[in-house]
Amino acid sequence: MRLALIGVGGAGGRVVDAIRAVEAPECRQLCDGNVLTVDISRTGSDEHDHVPRERQVTVGDTRRGVEDGAAGDQDLAVDVVRADAPEIRRALDSITMRDLNGVLVVAGLGGGTGGGAGAVLVERLQQLYDDPVYVLGVLPAADEGGHAALNAARSLRSVVPAADSTLLFDNDLWVGPDADTDERYARANRELAARTVALFARSDPGPRSIGANTIDSSDIVRTLSPGGVASVGRATTELDTGGGLLSLLRSLLPGSHGGDDSDERTDAGKIQRLVGRATNSRLTLPCEVSSVERALVVLSGPPDELSRRGFESARRWLEDETDTVEVLAGDDPRPGSSTVAATVLLSNVTAVPRIDSMQRQAVDHERTDETLRAVDEPD
Amino acid sequence: MKLATIGVGNAGSKIVDRMVEFESETNRNLCRHVHAINTARTDLAKPEYIPEEQRVLVGDTNQKSKGHGVGGDVEVGAEVMSADIDEIRRAFDDIEIHNVDAILVAAGLGGGTGSGGGPVVIDALQDMYDEPVYALGVLPGEYEGGRPALNGARSLQSFVNKVDNFIAFDNDAWRAREQTIEEGYEEMNRELASRIVTLLAAGETDETDVAENAMDSSDIIRTLAAEGVSSMGYAATAVDTQPEGLLDRWGGGTDDDSLDDASQATKIKSLVRRATNSRLTLPCGVSTAERVLVVLSGPPGEFSRKGIESARQWLEDETDTVEVLVGDDPREGSSRLAAAVLLSNVSGAQRIETLQNQAVDAQEQIAEQEAAREAKIENLITDENDDIDPVV
Repeated sequence: MRLALIGVGGAGGRVVDAIRAVEAPECRQLCDGNVLTVDISRTGSDEHDHVPRERQVTVGDTRRGVEDGAAGDQDLAVDVVRADAPEIRRALDSITMRDLNGVLVVAGLGGGTGGGAGAVLVERLQQLYDDPVYVLGVLPAADEGGHAALNAARSLRSVVPAADSTLLFDNDLWVGPDADTDERYARANRELAARTVALFARSDPGPRSIGANTIDSSDIVRTLSPGGVASVGRATTELDTGGGLLSLLRSLLPGSHGGDDSDERTDAGKIQRLVGRATNSRLTLPCEVSSVERALVVLSGPPDELSRRGFESARRWLEDETDTVEVLAGDDPRPGSSTVAATVLLSNVTAVPRIDSMQRQAVDHERTDETLRAVDEPD
Repeated sequence: MKLATIGVGNAGSKIVDRMVEFESETNRNLCRHVHAINTARTDLAKPEYIPEEQRVLVGDTNQKSKGHGVGGDVEVGAEVMSADIDEIRRAFDDIEIHNVDAILVAAGLGGGTGSGGGPVVIDALQDMYDEPVYALGVLPGEYEGGRPALNGARSLQSFVNKVDNFIAFDNDAWRAREQTIEEGYEEMNRELASRIVTLLAAGETDETDVAENAMDSSDIIRTLAAEGVSSMGYAATAVDTQPEGLLDRWGGGTDDDSLDDASQATKIKSLVRRATNSRLTLPCGVSTAERVLVVLSGPPGEFSRKGIESARQWLEDETDTVEVLVGDDPREGSSRLAAAVLLSNVSGAQRIETLQNQAVDAQEQIAEQEAAREAKIENLITDENDDIDPVV
């Protein structure tokens, strides 16, 4: 699948940069160079390593109130992008939608620019393009404070109805507590980037790497089409060299398959456990899996390791677990790969404890804010 | 029989590919014309035996597909195929119809392109040609889940209504246990290909071997004209290897003729019985068949007239119909004697019933989820007391 990548705000830009960094070495193209970052800043900057300078758009530089960006002020960010819409529009002309399947807007929803300008941009892009506009949104961690939670909660209310689907990544889960600040966010961004690429970008297949059930972009579009919020799970398992060698030998001997029942059974169990792990413990946004409306699972790895029974029972398990019949499953053979990976897309998840707690944090913050203001300005 | 064979979607294209492989490996000449039609560019790159110029990509200018499939959506499959129907008709113009007796459309019924697009293709073919159009349809396995079952149950109705005969293949009955994903499909497709080719290629081998119970395409067409859903059975046995056969012939051992004949008759009859009671492509009640076609293929020396007659008799009793046709397909030098059985217009297929039940459940669940969708999303993004305003 090919998507135009548009990063909004500081966090959005950094995630886009991380996605571009993952794309290149893996030869898995997500955006084919159709990339753009939009930020509000007084000083134009060139902070991304993998986004060309001319694809980094800075708006609001002449605007009063914009000092070092929107500084968490969503309403300011909304005003700025609305005023500078023509400039963003011009920058969008550099994107060739003809060969793409949609747009992915990447934003940190807790920020002023990401959460505010991002919402405006999604609306504009929907008017501009017939193709789906998806959002990859980062939710602030609880320790980022009440203001970030309020921004994200407000932004969700605008972004989710406007986007064709909103994939969320919960920093509360993914940003480690102790490492130094820059690195812990960088690590979370890399994880998010890796998942995004794994889900959307298939490598261009040679004849040997076309699966029996290849997941194509239409499958992803269909899975995401109910809209709402989506979560992505991924788990990998390293093939131990012994097994790899054995299966290599096996693959060299025609007709030698199926002789070793116990080995095959283990393979099947391994794959089901892998999909279970991807679904239960490694989601970008933890959610109640039973609230899912549609799901998709892709298994990638050396074709000899992709057990049919494992694939089938994993798909069936997912159908039971998500309590939906709309489960698409695909294989993505990677001859020579040393890992087997399961990527799971859960679309339209509607029971998300983390969003509830964020909303409570936002409401508390708003109340405190109002109380403080009332104290500041007695009438 | 001479066929124009058309694979629609991923499963259908792969089956046609295996059919062409099987006929070229066994020196048969059934498929005089092949086409693979698909909505996914990637999958169209996969066949090995279908020439490049016979592969048709549809929907590449369609906003919903763009050459990337239809996402397993039977409605989009039908829509995309209908939109490009002129292109498909142009492709079918190439069929040298005077050179074919019938048209076979192969498709998987669980996905989107074959299940939704297949019936559209069949409509076009029925419109364009007077020759009978048959379908070879793969029913999704129960393990494939509710959505494929719903696609399959809906598609099955369209297929059966539109074709002259629907030959079913039940993935559930054929699922092998210990395989990789790739091997699983390959093996099922090979099994299916060998059955259909053995059955339909009869009478088209070459001019030298004139079959004793010669069968021509009109016989096959007659059996298939029963309409409805059909199932196939198959059994094969090794025959004496060539050197021994030669020795026998040179030795001029004619003393054992009557004994040979009796044992060969038994061999034929038991082979046909084995084929009929074998794992059918669609498990069903054999006795429900309206017409039956049996093709024996192998070295002509193996065809015992007495055996064929008693096999026919046995089948008549078994199926309770007098419409049983047994023909032979002499294959000089073959080391196998095979019997392929087609049970035409069968009923009592348990799998179709369970498929329909699964589909009804799926349809209800999908409708419930769709009805609740907007409210659930709204509830998710709104806080408990609706205190938080949207940003725009």
